[in-house]
Amino acid sequence: MSAAAPGAAMIALDSVSKRYGSKTIIHGMSFAVETNEIVGFLGPNGAGKTTTLRMIAGFTAATSGTVTVAGHDMAVGNLEAARRIGYLPEHPPLYDTLDVAGYLGFVARAKGIPRARAAGEIDRVAAACRLEDMLRREIFKLSKGYRQRVGLAQALLGNPDVLLLDEPTIGLDPGQILETREAIRAFGAGRAVLLSTHILPEVTLVCRRVAIVNRGRLLAIDTPRGLQRAVEETSVVSLRLAAPADGARDALLEVDGVRGAATAPAESAANAVALDCAVEDRDGIEAQIARALAARWELLELRRRAPTLENIFLHYIRAAESGEAAA
Amino acid sequence: MNGVLAIYRKELRHYFRSPIAYFIVSVFLVGTGYFYTYNVFLGGTATMDATFQNMGVLLTVVCPAISMRLFAGEWSGRTMELLLTLPLAPWQIAAGKYLGALTMLALMTLGTAIDLIPMYMFAEPETSTILCGYIGFFLLGAACLAVGQLFSALTGNQIVAALAAVAALLGFWFVGNLQNFQSSSVLWYLAGYLSFADHYARFVQGQLIGESVGFYVCLSAAALILNAAWLRWRR
Repeated sequence: MSAAAPGAAMIALDSVSKRYGSKTIIHGMSFAVETNEIVGFLGPNGAGKTTTLRMIAGFTAATSGTVTVAGHDMAVGNLEAARRIGYLPEHPPLYDTLDVAGYLGFVARAKGIPRARAAGEIDRVAAACRLEDMLRREIFKLSKGYRQRVGLAQALLGNPDVLLLDEPTIGLDPGQILETREAIRAFGAGRAVLLSTHILPEVTLVCRRVAIVNRGRLLAIDTPRGLQRAVEETSVVSLRLAAPADGARDALLEVDGVRGAATAPAESAANAVALDCAVEDRDGIEAQIARALAARWELLELRRRAPTLENIFLHYIRAAESGEAAA
Repeated sequence: MNGVLAIYRKELRHYFRSPIAYFIVSVFLVGTGYFYTYNVFLGGTATMDATFQNMGVLLTVVCPAISMRLFAGEWSGRTMELLLTLPLAPWQIAAGKYLGALTMLALMTLGTAIDLIPMYMFAEPETSTILCGYIGFFLLGAACLAVGQLFSALTGNQIVAALAAVAALLGFWFVGNLQNFQSSSVLWYLAGYLSFADHYARFVQGQLIGESVGFYVCLSAAALILNAAWLRWRR
């Protein structure tokens, strides 16, 4: 497999739409993934992540727009592009009747890896996915974690320039999740990796950029820090004070700049209430809140939180949904 | 060709590692053995004609049992996503799977050869007629498998694929009977031309006719081309 020029877009979507009958699943999606970049594809279930990955992998064709992989238009250069793609679908595509070595051997042959190189290549991916001891095991006897690893191993066969991973850590135990992330990070070097997930911390741990999708539309694509900056006009202040919950909330809402407040029951105790409030992003807002409350109750804790990825994600999804409702 | 071989070898591994293939071949061989015993030992004739006829009808049921999983099994096992994203052209997938199924048919055909041992021990059958019958049997089976494979790809469900293929194949088998009702010479000819049974009967009688060979070969090729075209089109 030839190495692509650094910085070149290995995956490029240009106004891609997908319709099934009268239902549009993907609406004019455009983005690019470059070599040496891991991009996280983040969205709730049913957002269109799998359909988008399937279009990039060549399993299904775009209704309109162009999908280009390694410079090949998927509508015409499907086979050429397929040689450069490693794809792990949401459900690892395994043949239960084969053993692991037999399965990887089949994929290696189908990918056109010469017989002389195939055995070494299988050993390489088996080592990367920690499958060395499982090569002679029949696939139907494997646990879910190992099945996922075999799926990842087949995607890595042949050193593809583009890796497409659909929810690669779903159903794994914490140890396996860490191992899989490590493998993805290691294999991401020198490749373009597009990783779909709905597990938020995963993208910050593994990905350089994050694409947020919902209802078939791309809402934002940027680095996690860039996304954070974009939503920082609202930030969150958490506080704990010795006060009745209702009284404290009413007092908070009277403060200029506080847009909303809610009790956090999990962190509240018998004599202290915990509250999270959405505030305007400006200097001095904490001091203003502290002054308003400390006059009446004992303030135990007050801190301003940077928006988490959860907040960012919800911000974009809600903004898109309220936009749709207004339209 | 490497892609075809990759699929072919995967198919063969699957056949020999799953009990279903052994079961289907066993059912076929037991069925054939029953007809053979009935026709030859009880009927007292040292020819394979009647047995070949019975084996032909049996094929229209056994072949769909082999072919039903070819694509429907890939859909239900969620492996279709792998097959269609590997660097394989649709024709390579269709051809690899078909060659695998043909190998099973060849093994079934070979299995029936055991019937010939007592025939040659106790009588003097016509070898050329028997050979012709076997050629016809294999060609008929090849056509049945191609049609069955097409239905497996089209329906995506193994049971539906098997039932639809049996219905279509029995239709091809009995369509010749429609000749009795035809006043139009074109329809009369067409019903005869499409009849599996009529073409097969010629082979069984020892006639190796180009038209019949061509019919089965063309029908198989047409089903495979449609199969590959559908795989491409469904994207």
